[in-house]
Amino acid sequence: MQSLNVANIGGYLDPASGEWRDVPGTTVEMVPAPLGLQPTDYIIASWQDRPYGEVESLLASSVHDGNRIAIRLDWASARPNTGAGEGFPDAAAIAFPVRGEPELMQMGSEDAPVHFLQWMARKNMVRSVLATGIGLSVTAPSIAETVAAGWSSGRWTVVFTREMSGTSDVSSLSPEKNSQIGFAIWNGANEERAGIKAVSPAWEDLILRA
Amino acid sequence: MSSKQVAMVIDLNKCIGCQTCTVACKTQWTSGEGQEGMWWNTVATAPGKGTPKNWENMGGGFRNGKAQPGKLPKQTEFGDPWEFNFEEALFSGDQHATLGPVGEEPDWGTNWDEDIGAGEYPNSYFFYIPRICNHCTKPACMEACPRGAIFKRDEDGIVLINEDHCRGFRFCQEACPYKEIYYNTVSGTAQKCIFCLPRVEEGVATACSRQCPGRVRFLGFLDDKDGPIYKLVHEHKVALPLHPEYETQPNVFYIPPLAPPSFDDEGNPVDDKRIPIDYLISLFGPEVRQSIEKIKAEREKRKRGEPSELMDVLISRNWLDMFGPFTNQPQDVAKTLEERARG
Ligand code: SF4
Ligand code: SF4
Repeated sequence: MQSLNVANIGGYLDPASGEWRDVPGTTVEMVPAPLGLQPTDYIIASWQDRPYGEVESLLASSVHDGNRIAIRLDWASARPNTGAGEGFPDAAAIAFPVRGEPELMQMGSEDAPVHFLQWMARKNMVRSVLATGIGLSVTAPSIAETVAAGWSSGRWTVVFTREMSGTSDVSSLSPEKNSQIGFAIWNGANEERAGIKAVSPAWEDLILRA
Repeated sequence: MSSKQVAMVIDLNKCIGCQTCTVACKTQWTSGEGQEGMWWNTVATAPGKGTPKNWENMGGGFRNGKAQPGKLPKQTEFGDPWEFNFEEALFSGDQHATLGPVGEEPDWGTNWDEDIGAGEYPNSYFFYIPRICNHCTKPACMEACPRGAIFKRDEDGIVLINEDHCRGFRFCQEACPYKEIYYNTVSGTAQKCIFCLPRVEEGVATACSRQCPGRVRFLGFLDDKDGPIYKLVHEHKVALPLHPEYETQPNVFYIPPLAPPSFDDEGNPVDDKRIPIDYLISLFGPEVRQSIEKIKAEREKRKRGEPSELMDVLISRNWLDMFGPFTNQPQDVAKTLEERARG
């Protein structure tokens, strides 16, 4: 996918903003995260006969202004699930390789971590997380991440923003080098959480236009 | 498996269903925010639906060593918490005000089916069954967690949830076949019985054991040959785990209830099998037969005036003998801790 260069991403923070109409989107195919990679026997046993990760695709688009990048996701969701009380929230994540060549499906490894921003419909919050494998994630340094989300007519739209510069645990994004991005979607109504989700099967190229 | 294992034996012949243990636990551990509907200790009437409602049909645990899917218990199945109208009923001066729940009429809660039991008059029957987390040797909760947030302490086998690691995924709640884990919607984490860890570490018995007026709950290490647990579980083999078929190897054991006599049509006592043995087998496994026979035989011995170590342990004339190494008095420990803090 491409990230268009705009003067200021300020007009793009709201996923419903008209500005997004002129930004071409990329359709990303999604698949259920493989059952065999789930970290515990219990999770495998309890989900082997149960469908999950059924979001077939999402529409991703992006703009940047040289300092910050905004990434908008748009996917079908019959009804919004905020996960209030004891429910599980709808959620989405964008992932970036930090160093080495991490496997997206495996959520990276010790030497090749994956950094991701996760939005959860509960309290509409975003978290910056560093993963070194499935079930192995810790809070990552903040990169001034923000999120805004809205649901209407059977679709969630979510805009993540972050600084383009990185840290030792967050990859930097710039027009000079090609980057990669991965996606995950959790359907709260189906009790999806942790590794029970829809994922993009491989890294997508993320090309920042100069 | 841990190097040492704390354990509890609960004598169902002595439990009077007073819920003192439940309240002791509630007061000590679950009076915080988001814990209103939490009961780390419950006492239910058996036969009955228990807490959460129909928990025995919710799956989880293992079969032939394989993890079994379980159902996620809902708050309504534990019972939504409610407040009582104490103010109105007790202090308003209104003679007609009666004590009751505020707001919507609840239709389920812990101990909801108290004293209902089963059987036909005059041969109806029930008994009380206190439950806590079993601090299992093979904890299904721990094995289910994708984040490794649940661990079993090596020094005493207590199973704990690290709430800093827990993300509220609740696979543990589904996987625990005893449904002994609760979800705190305020903290977004799973919480459960901690076997009174801070007390036990200071040699003080668990709150439920110490507060029990019926001297029902024995404590100790499973391998302590001089303690009551070893004697009841391993030596006399009368204390049995609940639902051993769940394969988590619980460390809470029960002395099965002996039944009062059944009556015939004329009201004459005919046998002492009022509680169907098949029901007890469904709870404690086939070993329950030997356990009951053994306790009966030892009772007979005492009737004949002969000594019985088993009866002496079960009667527990000396209260503190029930608690193995956990005989310190809380007030003494509090004093020592204060002194230590003062340096
Ligand atoms: S009773 Fe349940 S929560 Fe407690 S250790 Fe066993 S499996 Fe875990
Ligand atoms: S305090 Fe003792 S007698 Fe009362 S319900 Fe609890 S275990 Fe039974």
